[in-house]
Amino acid sequence: MNDSARPAQSALVEVEDLRVTFDRDVDAVRGVSFALATGDSLAIVGESGSGKSTLALCLVGLVQPPEASGSVRVAGAEMIGADRETLRRVRWSTAAIALQGTPFNPVATVGDQIAEPLRDRLGMGRSEAHRRASTLAEEVALDPALLDRYPHQLSGGERRRATLAMVLALDPQLVILDEPTAGLDAAMRREVVSRIRALADRRGCALIVISHDLPDAANLTNRVMVMYAGQAIELGQTRRVIGEPAHPYSWALVGAHPVMNTTKDLRPIRGHPPDPRNVPIGCSFHPRCTQAEAVCWEAHPPLVESRGRSVACHFGGLKELLQARRISKSFAVGDRLVRALDNVSLVVREGESVGLIGPSGSGKSTLARILAGHLAPDQGRVLLGDVELPASWRGGSVKALRRRIQLVMQDPTDALSPRLTVAELVREPLDIGGELDGADRRRAVADMLECVGLPCTGSFLDARSHELSGGELQRIAVARALVLRPKLLVADEPTAMLDASEQARLLTVLRERQIEMGLGLVLVSHDMAVVRKVVDRIVVIDHGRVVEEGPSQRVAVAPSSSTGRLLVEAAPAFTAADDPMEPPTMTEERSQR
Amino acid sequence: MLKLGLILLGTLLVVAIFAPLLSPHDPSIVSGPVLEPPSAEHWLGTDLPGRDILAQVVFGARESLVVAFVAGALTMFGAVLVGVLPALVGGWADRGAAHTVVLLLALPGLPLIVLIGSMAGDSRAAVIAVIAFIGIAPNARILRSQALTLRQRGYITAARGFGGGPMYVLRRHLVPGLGPLAAVGFVNWAGIAIALDAGLAFLGVGDPTGVSWGLMLNRALDEQSIYFSGMWTWWVLPPGLAITLTVLGFTFVGVGLEPTFNPRWLRAT
Repeated sequence: MNDSARPAQSALVEVEDLRVTFDRDVDAVRGVSFALATGDSLAIVGESGSGKSTLALCLVGLVQPPEASGSVRVAGAEMIGADRETLRRVRWSTAAIALQGTPFNPVATVGDQIAEPLRDRLGMGRSEAHRRASTLAEEVALDPALLDRYPHQLSGGERRRATLAMVLALDPQLVILDEPTAGLDAAMRREVVSRIRALADRRGCALIVISHDLPDAANLTNRVMVMYAGQAIELGQTRRVIGEPAHPYSWALVGAHPVMNTTKDLRPIRGHPPDPRNVPIGCSFHPRCTQAEAVCWEAHPPLVESRGRSVACHFGGLKELLQARRISKSFAVGDRLVRALDNVSLVVREGESVGLIGPSGSGKSTLARILAGHLAPDQGRVLLGDVELPASWRGGSVKALRRRIQLVMQDPTDALSPRLTVAELVREPLDIGGELDGADRRRAVADMLECVGLPCTGSFLDARSHELSGGELQRIAVARALVLRPKLLVADEPTAMLDASEQARLLTVLRERQIEMGLGLVLVSHDMAVVRKVVDRIVVIDHGRVVEEGPSQRVAVAPSSSTGRLLVEAAPAFTAADDPMEPPTMTEERSQR
Repeated sequence: MLKLGLILLGTLLVVAIFAPLLSPHDPSIVSGPVLEPPSAEHWLGTDLPGRDILAQVVFGARESLVVAFVAGALTMFGAVLVGVLPALVGGWADRGAAHTVVLLLALPGLPLIVLIGSMAGDSRAAVIAVIAFIGIAPNARILRSQALTLRQRGYITAARGFGGGPMYVLRRHLVPGLGPLAAVGFVNWAGIAIALDAGLAFLGVGDPTGVSWGLMLNRALDEQSIYFSGMWTWWVLPPGLAITLTVLGFTFVGVGLEPTFNPRWLRAT
């Protein structure tokens, strides 16, 4: 299968540099090119307003010059600027579209409306057309008795199936479905999806599904095109694009979807979609992107081959924010050398949160300190972006690098000087860096306190650590780590000293800040129940080695390593009194290893 | 308590500075009859050769304050040098310093002072130096333990993580963390220095011609008849009280400072 944007020779649909501008200044589609082979399926996904539906309208020639420009060829026929005869020939019989919502006339029966194209195009008689409509209804699992009813007398699912019957009436080569499952309940949705899938397979027609519902789109199609601000930003095999999205936007879009196999809390995409009247120049996603650099402001990235799919990103997709390569560290205990870390490697991608989980003494805190640059490894390298971090603290450039990674320590009473006031504590990193002047510094402090949910009134700013609660202190610790606007936050058991409510509050703050500021997050913990709610990926570490690594839903539900299983079993759970749960025996199993 | 201490020390300081104005007579020359009880001319009477006692008490304040401040400052300087710096540097310097402090602590203080004081003869500087020297070990030990805990504090690590250099950490965290302890040590040792200095003078170590509270006591108690007459009320009591009040003043300030420097006592204003 050719994933590239170049139209293939035998393509059923060829779209080249399609642009649509409404009202002269609303750029709905901005240079989209793709091709679809006969019998293939493509999902077009994206947030509302990304230009998906306009693109669909163009495919059947419903948008014409002067609004539309470029080329759309369906089965060899050019749709942009086509005459009425061509359009009439192609529409419905070659390319049929089911528009969003209910495309029915409320004053005609459903059966008449399904029969209408049959009579109109194929010249069938009334009774023949109705017989054919009944067959179609059976094919889409719609009770033929319902054909005599009016659209409002059908349920949502029935109407959706009737629509399918209508679309399939002329046996088209291409079926375009705009939001086929919108507004249906979950069970109905599932049934409609499998029905569409089966029909497309049986009839061998090409399928284009337009949806903002990723799971449905993914279940219906082989390939997926992610659209943002009227442009295709990622195009490739569905399994790949949904499984490991490459573009930062696709990644965020997949992360924003609540599906049963993620354990993490919902995560909105930061910022807002651009106004189509005023799309940012350069890469249109750059204001919301966590990894944007100067080039993203300036140049629009073309859709090019990267990581087995096409991606429109100057960096070929998500960058690797932090890499720890083959880290080893030993400590001298008496005259014995204890190996804390043994050849550990870890990668954190842009905007990603990674849970580092392991039992006490597994080396996770040591790794956290090495990542944050508070401890030098014996062997191995830590890279931030593509710059290697030197082990030493000294030197101006090193300082600047170090500040891109911040550590939140376990005990806030230790991490915050008892002599400084809240204002001084949060301002300290800025004071050290000599950034901003007085008023800006005060504003940055106030903003950051507000961000972590703390007051910034005079009496609170003048308070010292002994006057505050553990939860407040830890949030201050988070605020001062974030005031430098780092790229990566390493939190070492940040909730160990907090009660459940304060823990929930702190983790919420961390997650919120992570999304808003586009941070990478490494959360160190021994508590699977906590970690799985916060992170995308879990790395299990034991005896100084990585024993398991994977998406949080897999590691938290079906861990493959014995340490992972122990941590899952040991994670707190409420159990009924008459259900005596056997306490997990950590030490026993561990010693068997 | 701090207030009381400050009043005592403040009074002493005023007396020391304005000694020539406050004193009715020159303390080192005979200005009246021998052993005169208090009178209008000599408010606190005179001693054996006929020198004015009030004048000696007033001028003795100068002597005591010099000893207090010089010895206190020298002690704390030595304590920081031996106790704090090696602890911050770590490694062999730290181990060496730790052993040195233990060794110094083992030295018997008072006999050493008497020995060196008598060997140095009438050198005031030598006496002050010895007093300062024996203060180094106990103070270095206190500062060292504080420096060691500070060094491992999370907020120091954090400050370095924010990009703070060693000088920043010293200025912002170590000096504020160690300063109060050093200040208290200084004040306490200043008080001890006065008592030690007076004790040495009383024992006859040092310059016999000077003017100091300890020397006054030494001379008064050398006079056998003082034990059988009321002379002690004007000859022994004034320098004794002066020493007591001064040491008390320093102690009060030292004790009073401790909670003030503890951040837990600081309140939002």
